[in-house]
Amino acid sequence: MNEPILRVESLAKRFGGLEALGGVDLAVARGEFRAIIGPNGAGKTTFFNAMTGLLRPDRGRVIFEGLDVTGEPPHRLVRRGLGRTFQITSVFPDLSALENVQISLLGHARQAWSVWPKARALHTDRARELLGLVGLDKAEGRAAGTLAHGDQKRLELAIALAGEPRLLLLDEPTAGMAAQERLESIRLVHRVARELGVSCVFTEHDMAVVFAVATRITVMHQGRVLAEGTPQEVRARREVQQVYLGEAA
Amino acid sequence: MRGAGGMNRSTVISILSAVALLGVPWVLSEFWTFIAIEVLAFALYAVSFNVLLGYGGMLSFGHAAFFGVGGYAAAILVKSAGLPAGVAFALLPLAAMVVAAAFAAVIGFFSVQRSGIYFAMLTFAFQMLLYTIALKATGLTGGDDGMTGLKPPGLLAQPLYYYYFALALIAPALYLLYRLVSSPFGYTLRALRANPRRVQYIGVDVRAHQLATFVITGAFAGLAGGVFALSTGNVFPGWLNWTASATPIIMAVLGGVQTFLGPALGAAVYVVLEVLISGRTEYWPLAMGVVILLLVLAMPSGLAGLWQRKAAEVAQ
Repeated sequence: MNEPILRVESLAKRFGGLEALGGVDLAVARGEFRAIIGPNGAGKTTFFNAMTGLLRPDRGRVIFEGLDVTGEPPHRLVRRGLGRTFQITSVFPDLSALENVQISLLGHARQAWSVWPKARALHTDRARELLGLVGLDKAEGRAAGTLAHGDQKRLELAIALAGEPRLLLLDEPTAGMAAQERLESIRLVHRVARELGVSCVFTEHDMAVVFAVATRITVMHQGRVLAEGTPQEVRARREVQQVYLGEAA
Repeated sequence: MRGAGGMNRSTVISILSAVALLGVPWVLSEFWTFIAIEVLAFALYAVSFNVLLGYGGMLSFGHAAFFGVGGYAAAILVKSAGLPAGVAFALLPLAAMVVAAAFAAVIGFFSVQRSGIYFAMLTFAFQMLLYTIALKATGLTGGDDGMTGLKPPGLLAQPLYYYYFALALIAPALYLLYRLVSSPFGYTLRALRANPRRVQYIGVDVRAHQLATFVITGAFAGLAGGVFALSTGNVFPGWLNWTASATPIIMAVLGGVQTFLGPALGAAVYVVLEVLISGRTEYWPLAMGVVILLLVLAMPSGLAGLWQRKAAEVAQ
């Protein structure tokens, strides 16, 4: 498979006078676990939003599995097999953990418009499997809003995985966690993604987390790609050290 | 969630409710039977409203538009369509629902483009537009005088029989709405209330889902309006005035927005209170306001919430 699963060409987005994305190129191969790093304000979340239909890019193209999907609304992209999670955890707080995953499974099975069957008993086995996969099997009956922060992140992962994505974009999957929990958490994502054959792109601030799992790293700075390469290559680049690694260390 | 004991209890409650509903006209006077019809109509109206609010998180300030349009559709069908009385009457439920749904489709199409208070304002604006039309299109709607002297044919003109006619429409309508909120569609709707963005990212077209809900609940509000119009015999432009949209909001909050039938209970209490109080004082809106204030302050989750708390205490 030579065609990258995701190819982004000179994606640009401007907010008034601020150039949030100044023409970003990205190619992600199937099976990759790509990290996008960069200081706050580098444009990582804007980049995610412009790729996944929350923001309309001013210029550029997004090509998913060889198909131009630029500007498609989120629900279409998800149906094509492109999932995402959010920096600020995004679950359904007043529904149980099981229902959270069930609803995603219903959406994936195109049953969201089914008005007659009782939803309670649908997809419960698969939902439990997915909860088990992210280590939440004991919490299925609990309201998602009452789960610990890290558990909500894992629940969101299960929700995203229920859509059987082939590519998953994770916006700061370890945001708000303690250092030790971050590593555990990203290893979980990594393991599960491997198991299910999902390619991943994730943004991250913690270098320990990035170097623990990333196959390749893209460094963003001021809305542009500053560098890209394997972890070893990126670590060796001087300008990267200046804008980011130096600053972080 | 519910054990075998709970199942039994809910079965018992269902049977008792059915018996009570069927027995109403045999126990109550003709006047109170007439009021019971109003309760049925407003129960459906309030529940349909609450499917939007309590399940979908969409606070509409214009739900009366569909109740009113249903009422006018029924009145025009019976009075001015030139059909034989029996035929016009038989078509009434369908006509009220279809016309209300058509209006809801147009109003909803624009309103669901926004959320929160902007959604509320759009529904409000459309309703006022319809109110003005009802006032000005005298040829069609009777203008300020409304349409009066509406009568169901034959025996159905008696509250006793009309009650069963209303029950035969409204009980299945409530059941259909119940199935709707328990279905995958309804689960998705509940998810959407809390987190519309996440719902987009499970592959659901959020606006389409909201619009469909708006149309379905509008259609049932229309049915309620049509049933009520032929019971009271009148339709007035006031049905479409913005104050009319407060009614289902009060009923839903009073009964409890967290439960499916809470708003129906709220409707019953509201209608009966209104009859009792308005018969005694001309200041009944004031008295009504005070009573509702006290009820809501004492029971933040509504009458249904109180019921559930009691049930939980009994279960312990």
